[in-house]
Amino acid sequence: MRLIALALRRCLWMPPTLLGLTLIVFSVSHIIPADPARVLAGENAPIEQVEALRHRYGLDLPLPQQFLRYVSDVVHGSLGTSLYTQRPVIDDLLERLPATFELALYAIFLAILLGLPLGVVSALKRNSWLDHAVRLVTITGLAMAAFWLAILLQLLFSMEWNLTPVQGRIDGWGPDPITGFYTVDTLIRGDFPMFFSALRYLFLPMITLAIPATATIARFTRAGVLNVMNSNFVFYQAAMGLPRRVVIWKYILRSALIGTLTQIGLVFGNLLAGAVVVETVFSWPGLGTFAYNSILQSDYNAIMGFTLFTGSVFIGVNLLVDIAQAVLDPRGR
Amino acid sequence: MPQDTTPAIARRTLLAGSALLGMASPFHVARAAGRTRYITANNNPYDILDPHQVFDIGRIAIRLNMYDALVRWVDNPAKLDMWLAEKVDISADGLVYTFTLHPNVKFHDGSALTATDVVWSMERILAIKKGAYGLFSDVVKPGSTKALDATHVQFTLTKPFAVFMAVLSELWVVNSKVVKANEKNGDWGAEWLTRNEAGSGGYRLKRFDPAIGFQAERFPGHFKPFGPGAIDDADFRVSMETATRVLGMIKGEFQTTDGYMPAEQVERMKASGNVWFKEAESIRTFYFIMNHSKTPMNDVNLRRALCCMFDYDGFNNNILGGTVVRNPGIIPNPMWGAPKDLKGYSYDIDKAKWYLSQVKEKLRPLQIGAMAGYPQSEQGAQMLQAGAAKAGLEIKVVAEPYTTIAPKLDDPDRAHDLVPLWRSAYFADPHNWTGYLFNSKNFKAGNASFYKNARVDELTEQALVVTDQEKRRPLYEEVSRILVDEAAGLFVNNTKFYGPYAKSVKSVRFCPIGDTQDIRWIEMNA
Repeated sequence: MRLIALALRRCLWMPPTLLGLTLIVFSVSHIIPADPARVLAGENAPIEQVEALRHRYGLDLPLPQQFLRYVSDVVHGSLGTSLYTQRPVIDDLLERLPATFELALYAIFLAILLGLPLGVVSALKRNSWLDHAVRLVTITGLAMAAFWLAILLQLLFSMEWNLTPVQGRIDGWGPDPITGFYTVDTLIRGDFPMFFSALRYLFLPMITLAIPATATIARFTRAGVLNVMNSNFVFYQAAMGLPRRVVIWKYILRSALIGTLTQIGLVFGNLLAGAVVVETVFSWPGLGTFAYNSILQSDYNAIMGFTLFTGSVFIGVNLLVDIAQAVLDPRGR
Repeated sequence: MPQDTTPAIARRTLLAGSALLGMASPFHVARAAGRTRYITANNNPYDILDPHQVFDIGRIAIRLNMYDALVRWVDNPAKLDMWLAEKVDISADGLVYTFTLHPNVKFHDGSALTATDVVWSMERILAIKKGAYGLFSDVVKPGSTKALDATHVQFTLTKPFAVFMAVLSELWVVNSKVVKANEKNGDWGAEWLTRNEAGSGGYRLKRFDPAIGFQAERFPGHFKPFGPGAIDDADFRVSMETATRVLGMIKGEFQTTDGYMPAEQVERMKASGNVWFKEAESIRTFYFIMNHSKTPMNDVNLRRALCCMFDYDGFNNNILGGTVVRNPGIIPNPMWGAPKDLKGYSYDIDKAKWYLSQVKEKLRPLQIGAMAGYPQSEQGAQMLQAGAAKAGLEIKVVAEPYTTIAPKLDDPDRAHDLVPLWRSAYFADPHNWTGYLFNSKNFKAGNASFYKNARVDELTEQALVVTDQEKRRPLYEEVSRILVDEAAGLFVNNTKFYGPYAKSVKSVRFCPIGDTQDIRWIEMNA
C-alpha cells in the first residue's frame, strides 16, 4: 500500500513538472528570432506565401495565445503537427522510439554488467593497482567526448578491423516492425542472419553510449560499497561467520546499490533523451536524430514534442527508480 | 607447404569476434541477386515525399526520380529538354503556352498520364501555397490552366514571363485520380502524399521511412528508355555527419554522397583509392549579401571598399584548396548572360583605404551574419573581417543558424550589414541570380540586399518579356556589369562539384540542377 501511495504521489507531480518543462522549452525556442515559415517557404517565396504558412501554423498569433493553444492540444492528446514532416509529432516520435529504446537498453545493460563488478572489485581492492586502474579508466570514460569516441571507434572497428559497419541500423531496411526492436523482431521471425546483422550495427553506438555509463555506475558502486563496508552490520555478519562472498554480494551490494540505482535511472534517462550526438554520428534513426533535425529547422512543434516526450519518459524512469529504492530500502517508504 | 604463422589465439579471437558480429559485407543480406543497388548518403532528411510541398536541393532526389515534369534539365551547361511534353507552341505575345504531351506516359499504377493531371498538379501547387508556389503565383492564376484534350494542356499567363519554360521543370505531375482518392478535408491529398508517391518517374517507391530515407526501384514502364547499365534499385539514406559519410564512402557502404565536401574530405577520399570523382564547374555562387538600406552601407564607396578588402585568392585557393573558381559577378561563369570579360574587384588594401576616404556617411562598426555550421560562410566572414581591420574598418562577426538569419533578410532594420551565403540553382536562367536577387519588386521575396536601381529594374523586367535567349543575353550582361560597378554585393566564387563515386559506378551525367541525383543517367557494373 505504501508503495502505491508513493507511486501516486510521484504521479501527481507529473503534470506540474511537465507544464513547467513546456513553458521553459516554449519560451527558449520561441524567443530565438527564427522564422520557420520563411525557411519552409524557401528563398524566393513571396511574402504572401510566407504569411499564409505563418497563419496556417498559428505562428502569427501572440506568444501567450500560441502557448495556451499548445497546452490545450497536449491536454487533448496531441503534440501538434511537425512543420517539416507534416505529420503528427506523436507519430514521428513513436516511429523513432523503438530505435532509441533498443539502443539505450543494450547500452544500459552492458553498463550495469560491467560497471557493478568493476565498482565492487575496485572498492574491495582499494588503493591497489587494480583500483587505480579502474579509477583511471572510469575517469577517462567520463571525460571522453561522445563525438570523438564515436569516430575513434568507427576508425578502429569499421575501418581498421572491418568488423562492423560505419553507420546504420541493419542491412537493407530491416524487418517489418512487430515490436520495432530489430534484435527482437528478427528473432521472432527466426531470421538469424538479420539478427546478427542488427547486432553488428548495434555494437558501435552501444559501446559509445555504454562507456561513460559504465564509468558512472562503477564510480557510484565503488563509493557505495566503500561506505557500507565499514558499517556495523557488515562487521556483525562477518563475525557471525557468514562467507565473505555472501557478505559482499548479498548484504554490502544490496545496501550500496541504493545510490547506484538512482544513478542508473538518471543514466538511462540521459541515454533516451541525450543520445543526439551518437545517433547523428552513426546515422541511427532514433529520437536523437529527430531532435537534431528539428532544432536545425526550428520545427517548434517537433522540438516541444520531443522535450515533453523525453521529459515524460525521464519522469517515468525516475518513478521506477523511486519504487525500486523503496523496495531495497524500507526507510524510504 | 607454407606454414601458417598466425598465432592460434589471435585467429580464434578474430573468428569469435566475427561470428559474434556476424561479419559480412554491409547490405549483403537484402541484396537481390543480379540487381544493381545504388546507395546515396544524403546530408538532409528525406522526411516528406510530396513534390509540391518542398522545393529545395536537399530533397530533390524525390522529385527527380519519382516524378516527371513537362521539361527537364540535363547536362552542363544545363539545357532544357522536352520531357513529358513533345512540343510547345508559344503565342506571339508570350502569354499562351500550349504543350503537346507525349502519348504513352504511364503512372506507376499503370494508368495514363493526361493533360488533366498536369492541370490538377498546377492547381494543387497554387492551392496549397508551398514548395514552388512562388515561381508560379505571379503569372498563373488558379483556374487559368486548361486541358484541351488528353494530350494538350494550355497555360495562359497574366503577363509575359520569359522564364516560364525554365520554371516548369518544377511542375511535377501527380496522378490526380490517386491523390484525389486520398484527400482529407479538402487537403489536396497533402497528408497522404507526405508518405506515398503518385508519380510517373523513372523510379517508383518501394519503402519509405522518414528516419532513414527511401528506397526506389526502376520503373520498367517509363516512357523514356534507360541505358544498358541503369541502376535497378536505389537507396537514398540520411547521414547527417560528414565524417560518417566520408568513412562510408571509403568503406564502400555508399556509392555516392554530396558533391560539395570540404577540400580535406575530398583529399581523404581520393587517398583511399576506393572513390573516384566527377568534377564540374557548377552554378552555385558564393557571395556576400550587402544590406543597402542602412547607412553607411548605402554609400557605393563603402561597398567598393569592402570588395577590395576581401582576399579572393587566399580564400579560394588556400582556404578552399581550389575547389571553387573566382566568379567576379553574381551570374555563374558557365551561365549564359555572364559577361566573359567582366572585371571584378581584387584584394587591394590601399584601394580600399582610398574608397573609405570617399565615404560621405559616418563610418560605424559593421556586422556580418555568418551561417553557423557552414565553415565556408564563417571563414569568408573572418577573411573579410581581417581585410577590413587592415584597412581600418571594424567588423563584427556573428554566427547564427540559417533559420535565424532567413527572417532577418526580410526586414531591412533587423538584417545584418553583410551575410555570406550561396545562391543555388533551382532553374538555369540568369533571372535566378539577377531579377530575383536585385529587382526592387522582390524586396522580401529574394532581394535581401534591398538594392534598388532603376536601370537594373528596367533591364530585368525587359528580359522577362523577351523570349529569345540571344536578345535576353545582352540585357543580363549589362545588369551584371552594373551590379559589379555599384558593388551591389561582394561576389566571391562559383562552386565546383566534386561528386564522389564508388568504383562500381561506371558513369554519371552531371547537371547543375540537382547535380547527379537524377539517377536514371547513372550506370553501374552489375
